[in-house]
Amino acid sequence: MNFSHYFPELRPWVESLVGVWPTPLVKPNFAHWEVGHIVSMFLLGGCLIITNLRLIGVGLTSEPASTVERNLRPWLNLAVFGVLFTGVLIGMSNAEKLYDSQAFLVKMISLVAAVIFTYLVMIPVAKADGAVGPLPKAGFFVALAIWLLSIVVFSASGGTPPGMIHVIMAGALVVFVATRGKARWVYTIGLALILIAQQIITHVMITDPYDIERLDPANIWFTRAEGLWVILFAAYQIFGAKAPDSPRLTRLVGYSTLLVWVTVAAAGRWIAYAS
Amino acid sequence: MLHDFFQWLQTGLGKAGPDAPSWSEALLGSLNFWSLLEGTHLLTVMLFFGTIMIVDLRMLGVVFRRTPFSEMSAKVLPLTVVGFVILITTGLLLFFSKPEEYYHNIWFRTKVILIVLAMINLVVFHFRAQKNQALWDTAEKPPMSVRIPALVSMTLWLLVIASGRYIAYNWFECGKPQSAFLNAVQECAASEKGAAGPEGS
Repeated sequence: MNFSHYFPELRPWVESLVGVWPTPLVKPNFAHWEVGHIVSMFLLGGCLIITNLRLIGVGLTSEPASTVERNLRPWLNLAVFGVLFTGVLIGMSNAEKLYDSQAFLVKMISLVAAVIFTYLVMIPVAKADGAVGPLPKAGFFVALAIWLLSIVVFSASGGTPPGMIHVIMAGALVVFVATRGKARWVYTIGLALILIAQQIITHVMITDPYDIERLDPANIWFTRAEGLWVILFAAYQIFGAKAPDSPRLTRLVGYSTLLVWVTVAAAGRWIAYAS
Repeated sequence: MLHDFFQWLQTGLGKAGPDAPSWSEALLGSLNFWSLLEGTHLLTVMLFFGTIMIVDLRMLGVVFRRTPFSEMSAKVLPLTVVGFVILITTGLLLFFSKPEEYYHNIWFRTKVILIVLAMINLVVFHFRAQKNQALWDTAEKPPMSVRIPALVSMTLWLLVIASGRYIAYNWFECGKPQSAFLNAVQECAASEKGAAGPEGS
């Protein structure tokens, strides 16, 4: 599944982009524009982490969510602009490869979800200090559906694609930060046991590193187990743990907005690996 | 001497037999693990650089001007530290996958030097400005002794990111015709690809 699969008639236009201004200016300096793209992404990451951890009820809890959002808003907007502007330029320089890339399709679908999550959900919710009004609520479910679609497309490359592991890892870190006390210990020990079991099965019991027939299903099932474990404790943190100034849907907004952008970034990185 | 050590790391360590790969070669040739490692390294920079950037902006008096620096430090810097630990771990493993090649790469050397400078900047800030933190903790615009290290920190980490990205590009690769200076700073003469003088020489 990729753009060429769904829009085959666009191929001549895609092939022509390499000659369209400003591509001839960007292509010789591709590396520098790439640096601009990733720096924007990292700045975006910082703004999203601080804001969404606050929505989850951890991090800068001494400040209202509205204060956190107001302080970071110009930098968030700068970062989003930077990512989109440099993304279009480097995309035009690499158009044919992206057109045929499943990972790029995933990136674009999840990007739509990410922008909706950020501007129609996260920002209004943060401005309202965690209250989720009807429009952000509607935006949340629309964006969630689009994000789940991107995960389905990502997973269509064969079970649990390696790129999804980054999303699970990011979720695992967020849950670790968000949980407290005994719950954190249980979570961490359980996750460690699953990871250790995976290493034993895939390195001690299956000794041939190229035995894909046995390794792939084993890794896929263990990755799903890790994902389920993370989701279980995220659900506990969202629906079970006490955080008086952070209602459940607000916490869900925090988790979702963070992880959808990780999906965008992971799919973006996977464009290079999957080709 | 270091070249010989890294060459042994790349081709010798863990080699079970003449046809078996070394641990380094096995890592580089792994089906998905190397890609996951590199992806984790890159994505963790969002955590590390993203959070350190916000703290540096506070030190510059640009964001969270009414939030005490101690509050930012206590709540945000632990995330930065987690990010840094993951970066160092994945970075060392990535280095291990191609130690000889990275050793002779100018951008890798630049990146390491910049990281060391960033660490020195952090130590200088800790021992000079941070001892008087009580005096400027709640200041909306901290003194120059705080703002300068913040600016230096942001600049250095931006340069680290750029150098890290440029490692993948072969503009100044050993074996290519280039100046004696570039060959010397990368110790190309000791590398497998050797040192080639400028074109036409």
